Amino acid sequence: MTTETLATENAGRRAGRIGGIDLSLPVLAATAAFLALLIGLPMGWLAYYAVTDRAGAPTLVNFTTLASDPAFTEPLVTTLILCVSVAVAAAAVASPIAWLVARTDLPARRTIRVLMTASFVTPPFLGAIAWEILAAPNSGILNRWWRDLSGSADPLFDIYTLPGLAFVISCYTAPYVFVLVANALDRIPADLEDAAGILGAGRWRTAVTVTVPLVTPAILAGALIAFLQAMTLFGSPAILALPAGFHTVTTKIFSFFQYPPRPQLAAAAALPLLAVTVLLLTAQARLLGRRGYTVVGGKSGEPRRLALGRLKVPALALVLGVLSLPLMLPYAALLKAAVSSFPGAPFVIENLTWKHVNFVFVEFSQTRKAFWNTLVLALGTATLGTVLALVIAYLTARRAIAGSRILEFLATAPVAIPGIVLGVGLFLSYTRPPLALYGTLWILLLAFLTIELPIAFQQLRSSFRAVHPELEEASRILGAGRLKTLARITAPLLKSGVVAAWCFIFIGVVRELSAAIMLFTANTKVLSVVIYDLNESGDLGAIAVLGTVMLLITFAVVGFANWISGVGSGVRLRGG
Amino acid sequence: MAQLELRGLSKHYDGTAVVDRIDLAVPPGNLVCLLGPSGCGKTTTLRLIAGFVEPSTGDIRVDDKVLSAPGFATPPEQRGMSMIFQSYALWPHMTVADNVAYGLTLRRLPVAEIGRRVSEMLAAVKLGTFADRYPGELSGGQQQRAALARALIVEPEILLLDEPLSNLDAALRDEMRFEIRRLHDAFRYTTVYVTHDQVEAMTTADLIVVMNHGRIEQSGAPEEVYNRPRSAFVAGFLGGANILKGHAIDATRLNVGPGVLRCAESAFVPGDEAALSIRFHEVRVHATGGPDGDNRLAARVIRQTFLGSLRDLALELADGTVIRATAPPDLAVQANARVWIDLPPERCRPLPS
Amino acid sequence: MRSRDILLPSGAALVLAMIAGAAIAQPTPMTITPEMVAAAKKEGKIVYYTAVDVKVAEQIAKAFEAKYPGVSVQVERSGAERVFQRIGQEYSSKIYNVDVVNSSDAAHFVHWKREGWLAPVLPDDVAKHYAPAYRDPDGLFAAWRITLSPIAYNTKLVKPEEAPKSFADLLDPKWAGKIVKAHPGYSGTILTATFQIARDIGWPYLEKLALQRVMQVQSATDPPNKVVSGERPIMSDGTEYNALLLKASGAPIEIVYPTEGTPLVVGPSGVMKNAPNPNAARLFQIWSFTAEAQQQMVDIGALRSAHPMVKEPAGRKPLSEIKLMKDDPVEVDKQVEEIKARYTRNFKT
Repeated sequence: MTTETLATENAGRRAGRIGGIDLSLPVLAATAAFLALLIGLPMGWLAYYAVTDRAGAPTLVNFTTLASDPAFTEPLVTTLILCVSVAVAAAAVASPIAWLVARTDLPARRTIRVLMTASFVTPPFLGAIAWEILAAPNSGILNRWWRDLSGSADPLFDIYTLPGLAFVISCYTAPYVFVLVANALDRIPADLEDAAGILGAGRWRTAVTVTVPLVTPAILAGALIAFLQAMTLFGSPAILALPAGFHTVTTKIFSFFQYPPRPQLAAAAALPLLAVTVLLLTAQARLLGRRGYTVVGGKSGEPRRLALGRLKVPALALVLGVLSLPLMLPYAALLKAAVSSFPGAPFVIENLTWKHVNFVFVEFSQTRKAFWNTLVLALGTATLGTVLALVIAYLTARRAIAGSRILEFLATAPVAIPGIVLGVGLFLSYTRPPLALYGTLWILLLAFLTIELPIAFQQLRSSFRAVHPELEEASRILGAGRLKTLARITAPLLKSGVVAAWCFIFIGVVRELSAAIMLFTANTKVLSVVIYDLNESGDLGAIAVLGTVMLLITFAVVGFANWISGVGSGVRLRGG
Repeated sequence: MAQLELRGLSKHYDGTAVVDRIDLAVPPGNLVCLLGPSGCGKTTTLRLIAGFVEPSTGDIRVDDKVLSAPGFATPPEQRGMSMIFQSYALWPHMTVADNVAYGLTLRRLPVAEIGRRVSEMLAAVKLGTFADRYPGELSGGQQQRAALARALIVEPEILLLDEPLSNLDAALRDEMRFEIRRLHDAFRYTTVYVTHDQVEAMTTADLIVVMNHGRIEQSGAPEEVYNRPRSAFVAGFLGGANILKGHAIDATRLNVGPGVLRCAESAFVPGDEAALSIRFHEVRVHATGGPDGDNRLAARVIRQTFLGSLRDLALELADGTVIRATAPPDLAVQANARVWIDLPPERCRPLPS
Repeated sequence: MRSRDILLPSGAALVLAMIAGAAIAQPTPMTITPEMVAAAKKEGKIVYYTAVDVKVAEQIAKAFEAKYPGVSVQVERSGAERVFQRIGQEYSSKIYNVDVVNSSDAAHFVHWKREGWLAPVLPDDVAKHYAPAYRDPDGLFAAWRITLSPIAYNTKLVKPEEAPKSFADLLDPKWAGKIVKAHPGYSGTILTATFQIARDIGWPYLEKLALQRVMQVQSATDPPNKVVSGERPIMSDGTEYNALLLKASGAPIEIVYPTEGTPLVVGPSGVMKNAPNPNAARLFQIWSFTAEAQQQMVDIGALRSAHPMVKEPAGRKPLSEIKLMKDDPVEVDKQVEEIKARYTRNFKT
């Protein structure tokens, strides 16, 4: 058939305009409104409580009370010391490992990356509990070995100290630095280094003068995340600082909510955390904005790998040694606790027991509910959060509506809100009509959605930047509306980014404690809260069993999500 | 087939007019080329027509229905248009057939009919055997044809093409130019074609619109615009031309310094600053001879390049003005040689200021 | 008010009931009837907020479920002070989750009674057998368990002859850095014990104890764990029953009943007025005070019972042979904020 006949034959059935109204604008408006409410409402109540007294009259007395009370100022100073130590330690340890993995011929590089991810999946509070088993000054397994070996009466390491706390938090924040720096190193085009090489710089010199400066922003960004994590974590300090007789700001805020509750003080105490976060984020934006760092992100060939030569084995040993701190040692400790008949029982056959396993799966009435709640919330938040982040990332990446910058800000803002502060804010917002959500899973869903939104948004926005806008415009001009285009063209193209965002949220929800601890009720308990409860009564065996199962489930879900997306990736590969 | 009309169309970004008060009417079934250098506003004009961008002033009408005006734009999906993008924008996660079928699927046509029309269309663009391939598995020219097929199959009222050939190598570009024209002759959609390549424009267009700095410099049939450029810019951009500036002595004569040149056409206002243009190949170069002759000037060869079918010469006039000329390959002149050049009056086109 | 000369157990509960001014006539004692069981099964579950050790609570729950199949028990275990805060937080948001509550801080029941949150459920066994000191005259609650907070030490790390005999002994510099204790802001047992120690021995003792670099844990159930793990060889407070349970499992722990007297912690149970499962709640409450259930509690949980028909297992020092401090929930209720604040000042957490 010739084109002529085709043209004439179809002339009568010319497909015209596609009917129906454009739903996209209402959807966009709704998203913006939802986001504003989601973040604005709890922050508004928080601000209101911070500047009112119990009777609701405006006052600054909450701040003066805090500022003049050493019971609050001391934790504040402690927290700052903690944050700086963690940021420095995490960056100092993770950056070299990232470089070894991304830029040298270190053996087992893939495995190391996977192990780093595994330590990301480990909830920090579980790590803290495991490190109690390992490095409590007297009963800690490592300290016992140390005493037996050295004959010394003093412990090698006391986990119930500020350095101990900083160490444990660093273990579980270092992966953030690692991922950021390793990715940045992956993306540095080899020709930038070749350019230095051709000018006569040796390999090591190139690494120092070109490579390191290029990943400085990634290191800084990682250190910033480590800082913020250290500042906002609740579980680890509650587990390690309280026994040692000191508070951090988050544990202090939590204590303001114990009977008799003082929400005004809690709200006022939250503001320094917010202020520090906003300050840091602004500083970072300034710092990164000044230099043309977009080069990291250009297209790359296979990066050049430095031959380690004789240093190969020591380097690998070093990396594995570091990895044993967040992973091998804690999990070994947890597994031992899971089968020991009492805490610290010598590891001999007569002390082995199934009673903790039995307790968790047969006797403990919380187990099923907590697993169910956690799973529902994690799946729900991950799905909802991905969709929300997708829409916002679309709107901001494509500047589709006026005010998309505001959306961008709103979606990033929760980074500045520590979980426990958000928990306080949400509690104040949703324990009153018209939205009395407290006591339902919804309030936890909102909390998790807010907390996890920034990471999903960042992930998807960068994915969006990799999708040429013309691919979407081609769909629209052919008659698909914005939403249809988003669903049929953009989403499939973003698949790997979408799956990554989904997994990030899922993992984040499972390990979230600080907001959940403020918001749970008997029927809405999640695993992290149950584990935290068990820790307060010292039930290590049950914690070990629950923690291990929780981790296995997380791995299973994340693995499944990646497998599902892997089914489609063959197509993507072929599609180029 | 639809009539497309732009009236007083402008687009401002941060106070700068990227498109500046454009008026243009495209008769039904015509193929109009927007031609100009990068940054001239041609792509923005196209995106305005497509509805991706809302105008700052003016409006866009199709068959007298206003589709775009300030503060109002019918969304792209409701315009009944098609577009071919510079990047082709083929969806990498769909096969060629799926890509092509997309627009029909949106129109909820019966599956059997979609299948039939897709295979007809693929046959028309000679991609019949590639239906199940993914775009990544096609060559550049095949991708280009797939993009064409995807745009044509929905039988748009208006077809828009944005630099469709700029990513192809020279040989393919030649082939696809004629292919586009052939398909246009077959389907006769009202078509707007954006390009910076004058050869592409000459080959395909019914109407060429030369744009510069957001404005239309000149529009008309290819031959008319080529032969009768109305500005130095048009003359220079379309085909390449020497521009000689001077004082108008009378309606036809211009004093350009080294001599007085006469145009066959009278257009000058005596005493005004004005210019004339003459294309490179219209300058006749003589290795020997004297000053006598119509519009004859003395010149010195400052560079000569042998290009096989012709010689490209750079010549310096007495006052230092450099003009370019092409001469037959057998004209043997060395650098620094003194030559005479003829600028025939009928080739000298006046460019009134 | 030093009143150690008054015969133990005290009539505090009676006194507090009078103070609360409850003029309700004592309700009719209730027994378990087939209709009650049927109604409970229809509800299918009860939600049990408790401060007792979670493993003990779950075993009690399993015993109940075995007795009344079809009614499941959801155990919500936390420290008594957390349970109290939680109920307050939930009730102020009109969330009524809890059916039956057990606290190790009897003062909580003074508070809840004042708020009118408790339902009158007087189990037959309580009416018939319980001493007035261990029950509310209006039948709103009764002492479900009795917990002691003694001293304990790790037998591998401390020789019996060197072990402290009294609270005063704990101030010996040789125990610096070797003591673990729980927190009155979390545990009702410890709040009650802190009140009694402060009253009978005085705050200066606690202030000096704070200088001994004690390890601060939260729940009263935790110090025995820390003792057996060897993390700290001595606990200055903590639950007797957890120490007894650990000892029974072969862990190296021994209890010392201090010469000044051992803090006595009465842990009442009651049914909430807004219980979502009122019939099941009543059934659970009545059952849990039967001699059979109380005996199970003593056998399984190593707790002490106020039920006179319950037999102390062999080898366990009978309550009558232990010098006990006197409980006084009304006074605890008055002083709770001050005790917590003063404790936090001294112990920094």
